[in-house]
Amino acid sequence: MKKLFVLFLIPFLLSCSSDELMESEKKDYFSIYKNLIVSDSNKKSTENQLAKQNKNSKWLSKFNQPIILISSADEKIQATLVALGNNQEKLTWVSADGISLTFDNGVLIATRGYTQDLMTMRHKTLKTMFKKRQKDYKKTHRYLNGENDYDDITFICKLSKEVNRNLKILEYSLMADKYTESCKSPRYFYDNEYYLLPKTNIVLKSKQWISPSNQSFFSYNFYAFQKF
Amino acid sequence: MLSLRYIFFFLVIFSYFYFGYFGKNNSLADQKSTFEKPRMLNNFGMPGSIDTPTAESFPDGQFSASSAIFGGTIRTNLSFQISENITAAFRYSRIPSVSGDHRGYFWDRSFDIHYRAFKEKKYLPSIAIGLRDFIGTGLYSSEYIVASKSMGKGIKISAGLGWGRMAGTNSFSNVFGRGSDRTEVNVGVGGNFTLDHFFSGKNSPFLSIKYKLNDKIDLIGELSSDSYSHETSSSKGLVRKSDLNIGIKYQLASDVGIMGTLMHGNSVGVVGILALNPKNPPNKTGFEPAPMPILDKATRLKTGYTNKNDLFEVNDRLLQLDGIKLLRLNLIENRLIVDIVDRNYLNVAQMIGRVARILSKTAPSNVDNFNIFIVDYSTGFYISEVRIDRLSLEKNELLFEGASLLWDSVKIHNVPNEYTKKKKNSFTPLTWSFYPDVDIMLFDPHAPIRWSIGWQSNLEYRVGESTTISGSLKQPILGTMDDVKRGPKVGLPNVRSDFMYYYRDIGNSIYLDNLTIDQYIKPFENIYGVINLGYLEMMYMGARSEIIWKDRNKPYGFGLDIAKARKRNTYGDFGLKNESYSTYLASVYYDLPNRWNIRLDAGKYLAGDYGTTLAVARDFNNGWEIGAYATLTDVSFDTFGEGSFDKGITLRAPLSWFTGKKSQGWRNTIISPIRGDGGAKLELEENKYLFRKINRYGENAFRKNWKRVYR
Repeated sequence: MKKLFVLFLIPFLLSCSSDELMESEKKDYFSIYKNLIVSDSNKKSTENQLAKQNKNSKWLSKFNQPIILISSADEKIQATLVALGNNQEKLTWVSADGISLTFDNGVLIATRGYTQDLMTMRHKTLKTMFKKRQKDYKKTHRYLNGENDYDDITFICKLSKEVNRNLKILEYSLMADKYTESCKSPRYFYDNEYYLLPKTNIVLKSKQWISPSNQSFFSYNFYAFQKF
Repeated sequence: MLSLRYIFFFLVIFSYFYFGYFGKNNSLADQKSTFEKPRMLNNFGMPGSIDTPTAESFPDGQFSASSAIFGGTIRTNLSFQISENITAAFRYSRIPSVSGDHRGYFWDRSFDIHYRAFKEKKYLPSIAIGLRDFIGTGLYSSEYIVASKSMGKGIKISAGLGWGRMAGTNSFSNVFGRGSDRTEVNVGVGGNFTLDHFFSGKNSPFLSIKYKLNDKIDLIGELSSDSYSHETSSSKGLVRKSDLNIGIKYQLASDVGIMGTLMHGNSVGVVGILALNPKNPPNKTGFEPAPMPILDKATRLKTGYTNKNDLFEVNDRLLQLDGIKLLRLNLIENRLIVDIVDRNYLNVAQMIGRVARILSKTAPSNVDNFNIFIVDYSTGFYISEVRIDRLSLEKNELLFEGASLLWDSVKIHNVPNEYTKKKKNSFTPLTWSFYPDVDIMLFDPHAPIRWSIGWQSNLEYRVGESTTISGSLKQPILGTMDDVKRGPKVGLPNVRSDFMYYYRDIGNSIYLDNLTIDQYIKPFENIYGVINLGYLEMMYMGARSEIIWKDRNKPYGFGLDIAKARKRNTYGDFGLKNESYSTYLASVYYDLPNRWNIRLDAGKYLAGDYGTTLAVARDFNNGWEIGAYATLTDVSFDTFGEGSFDKGITLRAPLSWFTGKKSQGWRNTIISPIRGDGGAKLELEENKYLFRKINRYGENAFRKNWKRVYR
């Protein structure tokens, strides 16, 4: 019996293939079992090295192209993104680990690389959002569901403004206008925050909501402080 | 008292379905309550209270596996919500009976169907009608009409009338005036049904009350009219003291439930329930890294573009990052023409979107169109050409209706044979693998689950552009597959039902599962063919040829499968028996609207019988397919033997659904209650069949997935 048991273990230990794709699928397949057997992945420490680094202008000067920094809501995970896409003035920023964020005038309009990506957004007053005082307005977030159909969530939003708020970014202390966008749908609600350089359309920092699964993130638009 | 054997059986069934096929990480699924409702299942795996049904439906698409154990009875149920109103179940049960044919038990398979005719309204109850065990030997044969109504907060009352087995106690004359005697049917060898039988004979009322204590717990009481005549006839069964069943349902997780029961005042029982909905992937839309961002024309002109001489190298490198192989690249005037092979993306629209994004980033500014030729890796067939307008790709990227606007400009063509002539593709000639191999056999009355674990080694060598030699060696190391006590069926040549001799004689030895030379041919634009020569499968060697006609923009296709095969000896070596068979089957494939597909085969099966197979499957547009098939031939039900005809349930689960990563891998399972000789086919490895490989690059496949093109 012992001999049989050893024989039974050998295929598991030695399983291999000359084909990289099959190897990778095998790992993915076994990871299904591993995820069930090994404890909850949420318990793993998620803090990354970038989050521990002190960000200042010296640190920023190492980058020779425009960057933004994004951070999870608890600030434990951070990543720097570079602009690789520009389509009709909508910039797409990409991280090394395969996440991309597309902004229109500093407002998030699409993500890729998340589990529940914001595919597109319908927001008719986006261009004038920070310029004109407006009443309640509609935003529709478009997602994909499990059968690759659209799953749209329409929010009714309100925007409020606070002027001359102190904003600390890198080692700088600035005065900024803070816009808070409160959005509600029958099932979800969120508050987005935008810190703008006074009398401009430049968003310096923001907290924006992606999706029900991926929630909100902070973005720090460091490119406004970069010199080339 | 539950014996260890019962508990073992329960655990094995659950492990098999949960860990083997349906395991998933629940951490990200936040909307499960709309997709899975494990607390809605009864002892029969159908919408109900404990034993009695309710007029409810599971969420559309829910697939459930459950097992109920009480009073000597074991019921293992697989149920599926076929559409919003229709639920179906397949069950394998152990029923104690004084006349039981396996040590005082019957081991019985049964099918149920439940139709919710009306949804609950403010003042009106929901109403459902159902048939229990309507195909088969009829040990659970019964019919019901039931109404359910929510009363206040958390209370649901259901009441109905049952016929057949459900008219056991408190019965009275048939309300439809069909007399008091149930129509007798000759069940013969099972597997068939008679309409006259349904709703005949006396009927009895049943009632259940469910109280939702909180989000996790339901308390249930019911009066069941099932007299349990078989079960009470045996000391291995239960003592029925009253009509009352009481139970408590507890939801362990959003997709896992458990129910404790006290059945008829005597037997304590337990039910374990797992629910899964293919519409609800645990990782939502997946973990694929972001695609290449797009630069509009003005930005491209500013940033410059790739040198023409470097185009192949740059695109090859970028496509490889996405797991796509670039075979060829030609720049002709304003068109960039590429031939690609993709072995990673299940979703073809997403794959083509990524290819187009990369081409858009690298192509010279004068290029307006991308002509993307898709080559199937295993066959080498050029299947479709996708033409994408570069400007349309760019301007629609971030528009709300961008995907559908892009679709309007996309054209998908068949690939003319002239294009593929003299093309040589640089695939790696030799691939091999060595993996564990798990084999499961269900429904043997002597051991409901038989299994083996061992290893499998595959080897494939490409001789030329369209010829491969492939083979597979296996060795079962541990297991019970070689201990099947039953013998083959009688009445027809034993073309399949003698499978147990193969497992028995192979035992723990290394055996040749298959070894073939495969020649792929594409004589005309829409005609694809393959010839397989050699050891086709564990039981047969010979020659087989399949021809498929498929036009890229038609929802249907045709096929012809012809084979002449000789039986292999039972030791899995190169030896042959002196038994030859031939088979030919013509097939029609049709992708129905609303994501259903059908396949109809007709012709001569292995045993020389003539007939048809109808297979219907629901396609979830994410790789999942759940379906059923039945084969009727000119072999009489009596000659076919137990089960009357060949039928089964098919499950196809994509690896990407579980992992969230791009993959074309999948697990395929066929749950076939009885393996007979009537309607038997050759069973080659699935990658030897052509239609699925071709159809996945048809226009319909792109259209139904197109919303993912920009992901």
